[in-house]
Amino acid sequence: MSMTQAGIKKAALLLLVLFAVLPGGARADDFDRLRKEAARITTISADFVQKKTMKILSKPLVSEGKFYYTAPSSLRWEYTRPLRSVVISEGGITRRYIASGGKMIEDKSGGVQAMKIVLDEVAGWVSGRFDANPSFAAALTEGPEARITLTPTDKNMAGMIERIEITVSRRDAAIKTVRIVESRTAETLIDFQRVVINKDIHPSVFREVQ
Amino acid sequence: MKKSFVLVCACFIVSCAALPALRPLDRPPACPSPFLTEKTRLIHAIEAGAGGKTRAVLIGITLADPAARTLSAAVLTPEGMALLEASFGPSGATIGRALSPFDSGELARRMMEDMALIFFAPAGEPVLRGVSAAGETVCRWRARPEGWVDVFQGRDGRIGIRRYSESGRLERTVTLAADAQSSYAAIELHASERVDYSLTMTLIESEAAASGR
Repeated sequence: MSMTQAGIKKAALLLLVLFAVLPGGARADDFDRLRKEAARITTISADFVQKKTMKILSKPLVSEGKFYYTAPSSLRWEYTRPLRSVVISEGGITRRYIASGGKMIEDKSGGVQAMKIVLDEVAGWVSGRFDANPSFAAALTEGPEARITLTPTDKNMAGMIERIEITVSRRDAAIKTVRIVESRTAETLIDFQRVVINKDIHPSVFREVQ
Repeated sequence: MKKSFVLVCACFIVSCAALPALRPLDRPPACPSPFLTEKTRLIHAIEAGAGGKTRAVLIGITLADPAARTLSAAVLTPEGMALLEASFGPSGATIGRALSPFDSGELARRMMEDMALIFFAPAGEPVLRGVSAAGETVCRWRARPEGWVDVFQGRDGRIGIRRYSESGRLERTVTLAADAQSSYAAIELHASERVDYSLTMTLIESEAAASGR
């Protein structure tokens, strides 16, 4: 099951939205403030619950996992259920692991390339640069919670993603949710919980998969 | 010369008449029937393998209606990204969304045909019932548009499905769980194609689906 270059690019663009959480911690009055707030973040760790809604499902498919970040570019995005998968990125090297036969094995398929493209982009997002990716037009909406809406500008995304909505808590300046609207009948909602900012994360988190 | 001719004939017979013989019984056995009997939604973890290695781990969602012989399916990455959304009916497969590696269409079509083989009873009545050389109880159907489908139950009670080409070449082997509650708790499919592949499916959840959904 190998991926074509076009497939990798398309998959990468889709996967980008799954990592839109990263500039968490910003008070989103404007993009400049987001960047300034994000610059104070050295680490993020959080649990997340992901609910996937599709026409074929009678109720959302619920996934759970954990997310870790250490500045400037170390990331770990781990799903714990229903299937375990781990993507780690450190020092420009991205690896993806999948559960098979009761152990974690490294994914050597084209999916890894897609994840690398994603995580390279994520390095910029971590710095609060929501509006830096030309593949998306970013807009801020003020309210009880700041809402950032990313709309694809890339024609390759047509029919794949309509928009991404990210809400940021004004109380603790943490990202609360990421909603990825794929179509009228399909969306993914990621709800972040127990977000911890600027607490030491052991480096092995970004190197080892247990 | 004569020996060579006999050898060539033997090879021809083996390659073209490989459909396994069934020994008829005085009293034809009941056919094993693991197939869905009502509209059902199933979610499986799928390990896709080729060359003896796991190539991908995916989430498969199937909504199958055995009465209408239609099914819808979606294949997601563990991260929840939909790689494939497709449907299958009497007129064949219809591909909606398809990202790599399903974007060529061929793999998507085969996967939908595999799901139909697994979840739907063969159409019509069996053309033969008997016992295989391995002692399996076997019912054989004519497949549509061509080929053959055997549904078998081994001496250990496990039920399986084999699909053969028109000439008798084994194309698919499906082995189902020996689970009293659900044959679809664990499914293993081996495909003999230009590039062989396997699917190991473990049930995450299933539910009866309301009509129309």
